[in-house]
Amino acid sequence: MHPGIRTHRRRLLRGLTAAAIAVPLVLGAAACGDDEGGGSSDPNAPVRLSVFYWGSEARAKLTEDALNAYKANHPNVEFEVTWQANQGYADKLATLAAGGDVPDLFALDDNMLADFATRNVTADLTEYKGSKLDVSKFPPSLVEYGQVDGKLVGISAGENTQGLVYNKTLLAKNGLPEPTTGQTWEQHIDWAAQVATKTKVPGTQDPSADYKAFWVWIRQQGKDLYSGKQLGFTEADLAAWFTLWKGARDKGATPTPDVIHEGNVTDISKQLVVTGKAATSWVWANQMPELKKNTKDELGVVAYPGDPSGQWARSSMYWSVARSSDKKDTAVDVINFLVNDQQAVNILGTDRGLPSNMDLRTAFANTVTDANMKLSIQVENDLAAKFGKAPQVPPKGHSTFRSELVKAAENVQFGKATPEKAAADLIAVVQPKLG
Amino acid sequence: MALTTAEQPSVRANRASGIPAKRRGSRRGRRSEAVAGYVFLSPWLLGLMAVTAVPMLLSLYISFTDYDILSPLSEVEWVGLDNYERMFTADPSYWRSVTVTVSFALIAVPLKLAVALGVALLLNRAWRGVGLFRGLFYLPSLIGGSVALAIVWVNMFNREGAFNGFLGLFGIEGKPWVNDPSWALETLMVLAIWQFGAPMVIFLAGLKQVPTELYEAASVDGAGRFRQFRSVTLPMLSPVIFFNLVLETINGFQGFTAAFVLSNGTGGPVDSTLMYTLNLYIKGFTDYEMGYASAMAWVFLLAIGIITAVFFTTGRFWVHYSDGDDS
Repeated sequence: MHPGIRTHRRRLLRGLTAAAIAVPLVLGAAACGDDEGGGSSDPNAPVRLSVFYWGSEARAKLTEDALNAYKANHPNVEFEVTWQANQGYADKLATLAAGGDVPDLFALDDNMLADFATRNVTADLTEYKGSKLDVSKFPPSLVEYGQVDGKLVGISAGENTQGLVYNKTLLAKNGLPEPTTGQTWEQHIDWAAQVATKTKVPGTQDPSADYKAFWVWIRQQGKDLYSGKQLGFTEADLAAWFTLWKGARDKGATPTPDVIHEGNVTDISKQLVVTGKAATSWVWANQMPELKKNTKDELGVVAYPGDPSGQWARSSMYWSVARSSDKKDTAVDVINFLVNDQQAVNILGTDRGLPSNMDLRTAFANTVTDANMKLSIQVENDLAAKFGKAPQVPPKGHSTFRSELVKAAENVQFGKATPEKAAADLIAVVQPKLG
Repeated sequence: MALTTAEQPSVRANRASGIPAKRRGSRRGRRSEAVAGYVFLSPWLLGLMAVTAVPMLLSLYISFTDYDILSPLSEVEWVGLDNYERMFTADPSYWRSVTVTVSFALIAVPLKLAVALGVALLLNRAWRGVGLFRGLFYLPSLIGGSVALAIVWVNMFNREGAFNGFLGLFGIEGKPWVNDPSWALETLMVLAIWQFGAPMVIFLAGLKQVPTELYEAASVDGAGRFRQFRSVTLPMLSPVIFFNLVLETINGFQGFTAAFVLSNGTGGPVDSTLMYTLNLYIKGFTDYEMGYASAMAWVFLLAIGIITAVFFTTGRFWVHYSDGDDS
């Protein structure tokens, strides 16, 4: 027999035997994969970790730099990074989950966290807490905000809070006062009407379709967006909110409905305050530097109107690990690096929010030179003393609430429904979806 | 494409008229021909089974469950007809999307066909350079349902868009077309109508098939232009009109891309562009109700099937297949 053929045959036989042993092993491992910590015991064995998040080009660059910094100390780890725009991110992740192909490490925010956690897409990281995953330097509310049904399913990648960003240059040019933290809603609307009269630019975007603005307002009424798995407010509350902004529109303080709609559906780079279609936009405070990149005008940021205790230290984004991942140890180690290593924290900056680790946040803040980043950190730090208690993580169905709120608010703005009718319709649709 | 359509009517005509064609062989010969046909078809048939039939049956099953696409399929619960019941009794957004889709199809499809036929008639002449115009008119259809086109459309038809700039030349104040719930769907209709190239090319092919003797005979009988169009062109063209009508209606009902892009995937402003397929997508991927979305898909399939069947039944009364076409 030709030697080449013999080795070939032997290799084939060996391959078959190996397969006969390996297949049941793999199946067995898959069957109990959920319970295992996962990963090989050899810390230097090569690992390929898939990472998935949403964001802009700028965020992609920062994240890549931070992951490379991790790789410098862990040459055995290879990252397979995928990122995309925010729009469609949740759809994509859901599709991956349906195909059983969830990335090892992925980003979520509080709009998706409960949806994915209650359906067991995310791994429970409680067992890592204290050992491989340090959250002891986080503000307690940020840790709690990553828990769903008692499981730690998301590690806060940053902290933010609501921020009202206004066009400083426009106000200064017209000798108008700047908005302040602590102004009442009525004062803000009157101010906006005054701005509109003087500058011909509507003073403020109408935030009635904006869940985060409604959230602050409803908390200031002594209620909350959710109470357990129920809506925490009544039809009358929501109708009052719509009526408040109907009044603002009647005073000419806000743009026309089609422009409001534009502001509702657009991404951060085209918010009305940077496109010049309104003097004020309702965003997250940490988005200020990003907004500044899209306008020549100077911008300022204050808290939303009303008592700032309506606001809270919110986890802007989470890192989560796939429950199906067999590389959980590595994934957790990477998360720990991203949130608890000064080098990583300095690279990532405030792009995802203020660093979650308070010690590192202070150290980082001292190194910041960008004026807008400095301002947004300062505003958040000033607010920190006035923050109220963080609300519960929104339940499953929160994304439906958000889209229905846009629909209801626009129905009122375009005059297709009364505030009462729009509020009633929303509650009828949303309530059954929560849970 | 034009070739197949042009031939279809004549094949149907042969069968319908019951005239035995000369080419038809003996019974045995025909059977072995059929076997050979199926053998040649088999790669396609297997593909159809694997990538269409199996997923379709799976979705039929899913439509009777509460599948949420995030949980494993093994954990779904059978809910019987709940999804179907909810659609018809308890979901206002469902009926909203039906209204939007039907009004879109009712207006956009006939207008698109009328424009396509009109342009085809103009281009069915021996003018110099007519080929260039045919190409130019067909161009918008090439970029068909593309996302890029929809984005351009949005930018042309917003408040600061080129269209309002054009209106401004005449002192007309425009509207924020795409951001106004009273106009957003109409803007989508205009987009659909503008892409009349595909039916136009088919009409052109059909017009070329009309025997010139008929026109000669008609003009000898003293028929004017309009009379010729009504009594010669339209009847002779009816199989092609029928084909275009069926195809464009199905396309019209399935419109998704433009509505998705224009509304950022929400169907807004105020549900004005909530096409059926977009609503289905939102239910499946934003609200995580894939069971319900699957049920919607099956009702949609049935509805389109019924509409097509109605076309075929009524077609008998107005579609004229010419006999004795040996070509």
